[in-house]
Amino acid sequence: MSKLSEAIANICEKRQWLYKPILLMESGAKKLIFRCQDCGQCVLSQNAFTCCMRCPKQIRNGPCGGTRPNGRCEVYPNRACIWWLIHRRAKRLGVVHKLKKYHIPADRRLQYTSAWMNMFAGRILPLQLGKKPKEVTLTKKDPPPLR
Amino acid sequence: MAAGNLELLLNLGHFVVCGEISPPQSADKAAVLKKCAYFKDTVDAVNFTDNQTAVVRMSSVMASVFALECGLEPIMQMTCRDRNRLAQQSDLLGAAAAGIKNVLCLTGDYMSFGNHPDAKGDFDLDSVQLIHAVSELNQGRFLSGDVLKSPMKLFIGGAANPFAEPFDLRIIRLGKKIAAGAQFIQTQPVFDVPRFEKWISAVRDEGYDQQVHILAGVMPVRSVRALIHLRDEVPGSLVPDEYILRMDAVKDDKEKSAEVGLALAVEIVDQLKRIPGIKGIHFMPVMWESITPRLVEQCGLLPRPKPVIASESSEEAV
Repeated sequence: MSKLSEAIANICEKRQWLYKPILLMESGAKKLIFRCQDCGQCVLSQNAFTCCMRCPKQIRNGPCGGTRPNGRCEVYPNRACIWWLIHRRAKRLGVVHKLKKYHIPADRRLQYTSAWMNMFAGRILPLQLGKKPKEVTLTKKDPPPLR
Repeated sequence: MAAGNLELLLNLGHFVVCGEISPPQSADKAAVLKKCAYFKDTVDAVNFTDNQTAVVRMSSVMASVFALECGLEPIMQMTCRDRNRLAQQSDLLGAAAAGIKNVLCLTGDYMSFGNHPDAKGDFDLDSVQLIHAVSELNQGRFLSGDVLKSPMKLFIGGAANPFAEPFDLRIIRLGKKIAAGAQFIQTQPVFDVPRFEKWISAVRDEGYDQQVHILAGVMPVRSVRALIHLRDEVPGSLVPDEYILRMDAVKDDKEKSAEVGLALAVEIVDQLKRIPGIKGIHFMPVMWESITPRLVEQCGLLPRPKPVIASESSEEAV
């Protein structure tokens, strides 16, 4: 994101005693509110604040072909299709255009790491608040973050 | 690299016909060849399903290779359920090397629908990302960014479901697939034609029908049970009551029931042919492959244009 945020991430990630509480705080809050699945590369801000990793197939790009007519999941008929929820909330928030964004494959190295710190370190997309996000990917040479 | 029959015909503006074969649940090559015989000269290309409905079957890559042996052009289906991005890319390389020209990228049915409901699903990529991966391979790059030693080319397909909710998001996702590199789209089987027309008009409004070849799916069914199963058990399919009533009236007579099923499919195809933006029909005669020659003939889609597959030898000569 910026030099400052990278410095903050750098400081936090080098210190277990600092990183662990941040991770606990983040995942605690996100688990409670969004049922976070710890992918470590948050797309909540793109998906109308609904976690798409709750989908049984963990689809990051749009719904699969099996959404039932009443908006339920094909795998679990008693649950709502996550992408149906995302679409409904995006309509209410007026952010349907954000759903047009193509999401690159998830980086599995980031699972169970702090998405906030990954964002600060510039490993993943920054929070999308009006501005168009720049696509960021970890390269093979980047060290995996602390778990 | 020579383009496949399907790509050539679509680019020449022909109204193409595709079939679908599900490989056997055994190591029986003869069964594949027997099914291939029904499609030879009646369709332009045939889909080979990849463990459809999560039931273990012969690999779609190998079944496609057998189809090539008997001169049929395969469309290899590839799902994201069983392979991670390494296996997917390696299978794509193998398929391209074997002479397979077309690949259809799907997310895949969930394991709980099949005969190994206790299995772990992979779902490393989703179908849009898989389309992107194939398109990257076509451009000579792996997903990691590494460069391929020699070029390869596959004609990339994606699927679309015009009947499932939420409607607008389906159009958005189709746009994503096109942006990711899809060159043809096969839809779920159409029974509800008015709903399909609504979908295709939304697609035309976005101009997607100009960017991608859309093939409408048609599934002939031979019993009312199959139709009811489709309506009730298969999420994301709409079957109008009218068809169920018509099939129900002849449910006791097996032969008549098959005739009515065939007539329904022909009716649907006749309606679809008139819709602008449709570039072909994709027949899915699941467990009823033997009907294909009659079905294609009754739809007035025979004879098929001669296969224009540039044989490997002539390619090498160039």
